[in-house]
Amino acid sequence: MTAVLAVAANTFREAIRNRVLYILLAFAIVLIAASMVLSSLSYVEQTRILQNLAFGAMRLFGIVIAIAVGINLIHREVDRRTVYTILSKPVSRTAFLIGKYLGLVATIWLLVAIMAVAFALTSWVGDAPLGLGHLAAVALVGLELAVVVGLATLFSAFTTPMLAALFTTGITAAGHLTRDLLALAAASGDPGVEAVTRWLHRVLPDLESFNLTLHAVHHLPITASDVVLPVFYAIAYTSVLLLLASLIFQRRDFR
Amino acid sequence: MSGGTPIVRVENVVKDFRPGFGLRTKRVLHGISFQVSPGEIFGFVGPNGAGKTTTLKVLMGLIGATSGTARILGHDVRETAFREHVGFLPENPWFHDFLTGREFLRFYARLAKVPRAEREARIDTLLAWVGLAHAGDARLRTYSKGMLQRAGIAQALIHDPQVVFLDEPMSGLDPIGRVEIRDLILRLRDEGKTVFMNTHILHDVEMLCDRVAILVDGRIRWEGRLEEFEREGERKSQVVLANLKPELAERLEQRCQAELRGHGERVELRVAEKDVEGVLGMALGAGAEVVSVTPLRQSLETIFLSAVEGAAGGGR
Repeated sequence: MTAVLAVAANTFREAIRNRVLYILLAFAIVLIAASMVLSSLSYVEQTRILQNLAFGAMRLFGIVIAIAVGINLIHREVDRRTVYTILSKPVSRTAFLIGKYLGLVATIWLLVAIMAVAFALTSWVGDAPLGLGHLAAVALVGLELAVVVGLATLFSAFTTPMLAALFTTGITAAGHLTRDLLALAAASGDPGVEAVTRWLHRVLPDLESFNLTLHAVHHLPITASDVVLPVFYAIAYTSVLLLLASLIFQRRDFR
Repeated sequence: MSGGTPIVRVENVVKDFRPGFGLRTKRVLHGISFQVSPGEIFGFVGPNGAGKTTTLKVLMGLIGATSGTARILGHDVRETAFREHVGFLPENPWFHDFLTGREFLRFYARLAKVPRAEREARIDTLLAWVGLAHAGDARLRTYSKGMLQRAGIAQALIHDPQVVFLDEPMSGLDPIGRVEIRDLILRLRDEGKTVFMNTHILHDVEMLCDRVAILVDGRIRWEGRLEEFEREGERKSQVVLANLKPELAERLEQRCQAELRGHGERVELRVAEKDVEGVLGMALGAGAEVVSVTPLRQSLETIFLSAVEGAAGGGR
């Protein structure tokens, strides 16, 4: 456990000393603040449009940052050979992988917290009401990004950053569409198509299950299961991703 | 070989790599075996591409052997826990350069399970030991190559290991840096550590190592103490002659199996010590002039070259 925490702390330290991260964060904050300007172009529902746009900016930039940093997570350690000295200590490959994952998740959660503060300030300035629903929605954005980091970790464990970016982006995009695919298949009435979409829905991450934006912005009631079930889903799905990553990473030769 | 249970025991280790996506494999290690005893500095010598780093990576668990066994301190190298007794410095090391020297050692101390109460004292001791006490709070990206190498040795020793593996520790260093690292390695031996050193710099091996294994094309060509080289090898002398007629040169080559190398009007011969008298008699009898006779010392370089040439000549 000490090794996992040491690797996680080092990954966190490396990430927060990365200037690219701050540039991306600055863009995200500018976009969140810009939602105030964009919403003012509308005559109706200005506060809801403001929060919708701000949430969208938060999720989009969260995903971009998670993928941008996550795809290099393992590759950089191998490419620069820092992994040689780390694994020559009493550190298992699984512990190393989990440490890297946790370090990046901690970084992403810090960024989500900063973006949430920017969101709150923008809402306050724009007179948009805030409630516990917003807090729950932000927490689920953090969970969604933890799953995306898990995907990036899996691909980073065995392929190049370019391919890892491609695979992670593709699956993240597909993960937002699986519910729509299910609905489309049900409407088609074709049992074959339904079976395929059901299988896709099970295998691909159901990232829309982490989306409470609508509930928060429209002040719809949020039940305990709306939050608890995604938490368990994120833990289970990420565990499988990290298990697969670990199995692949165990067999890898560092030539 | 020194007494005691071997610290490192490698038996018939084979390593195949698959260069591409195909089924064809390339054999890099051809069933190598050797042992390292406690307290010795062991030189693992070979030309570039011989398989030295591959062997070290197998020992560090960074790549898996195709077959054979490798053990350190009695443990299979695929295990993890025993590595708290093992230190490692890779070739041309690259570390997290956003860390300061002190943060860097703290990170490796945590990985190596150095108790929290002992960490800072251990870091201070090691920074002083490798001559980096003044640079502990500077980022690694500001370090010179020699300083990085010394920082690398400090991380290898942070947990006071029993055995230290060094991959080309003098590589790319200036003469002062090499002397500093050499002194550090000798201090490790004085502290009772076992040192395994990969290198192709024979001068360092002659100065530092108790025992040597020569690896050529993935095969161990020789393993033993340096002085054993001299006992094993046939002693030769260098005879330099002038005014040598071609017929005499031919006779010398055929009858004495002398190796002839021409240098202008002079000819250099390398002949077995037992044949020197006969060669001199023939040369003087044929009117040649004897310029010099020098007994040749069997240096590691000559052994190394003959091992490499032997491999190239098909002596596998």
